[in-house]
Amino acid sequence: MDRNQLRKWLKEPAKMGHKYSLHAIYFCTGCGIIEVPPSITARWDAERFGIIPVATPRQANLFLITGYVSVKTLKAIIRTYEQMPEPKFTVGFGSCPINGGMYWDSYNTIKHLDKYIPVDGWIAGCMPRPEAIFVAVTHLWTLIDKEMANGYKRYREKYRYYRANQEKVLGKLEWPPLFQIEDKDEQLVKEKS
Amino acid sequence: MKIAQIILSPIIAFVVGMFFLGLARKIIARIHWRYGPPLTQPFIDIIKLFNQTSVSHGGLFNLGIILSLSGSIVLVLFLPIGNFHPLSGSGGMLVILYLMLFGPLGIALSGGEAANPNTSIGISRKLILALGYEAPLLFILLAAMIHNNTISIVEIVRAQQEAGWALLTFPMVVPGIAYLLILPAILGKRPFELVGAAQEISSGPMVEFGGKRLAMVNIQHAFSMFIGIALFVNLFLGGSSNPGFFIIKMLVVFIVEVLINAVFPRMRIEQAFRYLWRWPTLVSFAGLVLVMIMGR
Repeated sequence: MDRNQLRKWLKEPAKMGHKYSLHAIYFCTGCGIIEVPPSITARWDAERFGIIPVATPRQANLFLITGYVSVKTLKAIIRTYEQMPEPKFTVGFGSCPINGGMYWDSYNTIKHLDKYIPVDGWIAGCMPRPEAIFVAVTHLWTLIDKEMANGYKRYREKYRYYRANQEKVLGKLEWPPLFQIEDKDEQLVKEKS
Repeated sequence: MKIAQIILSPIIAFVVGMFFLGLARKIIARIHWRYGPPLTQPFIDIIKLFNQTSVSHGGLFNLGIILSLSGSIVLVLFLPIGNFHPLSGSGGMLVILYLMLFGPLGIALSGGEAANPNTSIGISRKLILALGYEAPLLFILLAAMIHNNTISIVEIVRAQQEAGWALLTFPMVVPGIAYLLILPAILGKRPFELVGAAQEISSGPMVEFGGKRLAMVNIQHAFSMFIGIALFVNLFLGGSSNPGFFIIKMLVVFIVEVLINAVFPRMRIEQAFRYLWRWPTLVSFAGLVLVMIMGR
């Protein structure tokens, strides 16, 4: 730990804690997960940044979407994302979650992940090297410092938009909404009648 | 003076336990030829976890963790840390035996409320493991009590300061070896890490804990780590006359445990149970018989 960070620690311990203790959920969506084992083991050692993989979404606060997202995987991703405790950060890894990548004309793949869950940052490339993960982590630190990694707040505010997009792809969802959906138009209609 | 000790000894146990958790991560990283996290990483994790939201699954889910944590804190008060022994005059080792069950029991109650299949597998493994190591532990404590003709752990420490470490004197070395054999199981370290196995049952009983509840489980883990090693140091390494030397002795035992943890694979539960009720039980029973024959 840097000595000149001590004042930051005393001033905002919560924010520094979120920065230096990112617990990534071990969730493999596609081929991108092959870059994660080298980055958490001896070659690149993500643990020196405080990043460790955890097995359950309840303990995690970093969600790496590694690779293409099929419609079936999207359901699991949404459930996992909603189970994670706030504040939580999502990073799209590889070009597939950004715009479909090489699956741009596939009938069964999600092209734009950020329509369905909020994403705080992207790592471009097919595949990105493990170094790119660490560059992304340092960028995420900057974003957390400036309070710009606010995907979980966006999810809370615009939950209606995300839920509608999810239902458009997956049909009727099996789980109740995470947040209250305020339906202003319907309330107006009820008041008038 | 006594009140100061009552306040100080849980704080010492907390800081030392958390420092041990950080040191374990650093040593294992160096064995893997990694740089490893900073020593303060467990504290950073705790600060983060207390600032997260967390989900509750009912009343017992909240109370079970508190039961487990408070049981561990009370147990620390009964253990002499150097010359700090605030409550160890009353009850001695029988109280320690009872209170040692509170840690796993609280986690089991709390995890049972969550009704996750991984949790129930983890809890059953934890209780079977506790059943496995408590039989040899009973023999060991009984041998120590008979050898010194007292149930007070303070008296045992005092007797060792006159006669030398129990691990180096003849009849008591046998239970000491048995305690070393079951120590990884008490601490939940690698050959017996099957309770919180992240790869097979997604961290076992902790699967539904998040946020401040996970923080409390982590603190309880630090306390139980402290208790398992402190009991060994008190019974067999002669305790100490001040807390500083006591912590240095604990550090040596802990580093040995971490090295074992770093190189061994994980046992299955039936292998662990078979091992625990065969070798440590045999050795500790032989120790008990030897102590009774050789007299005091």
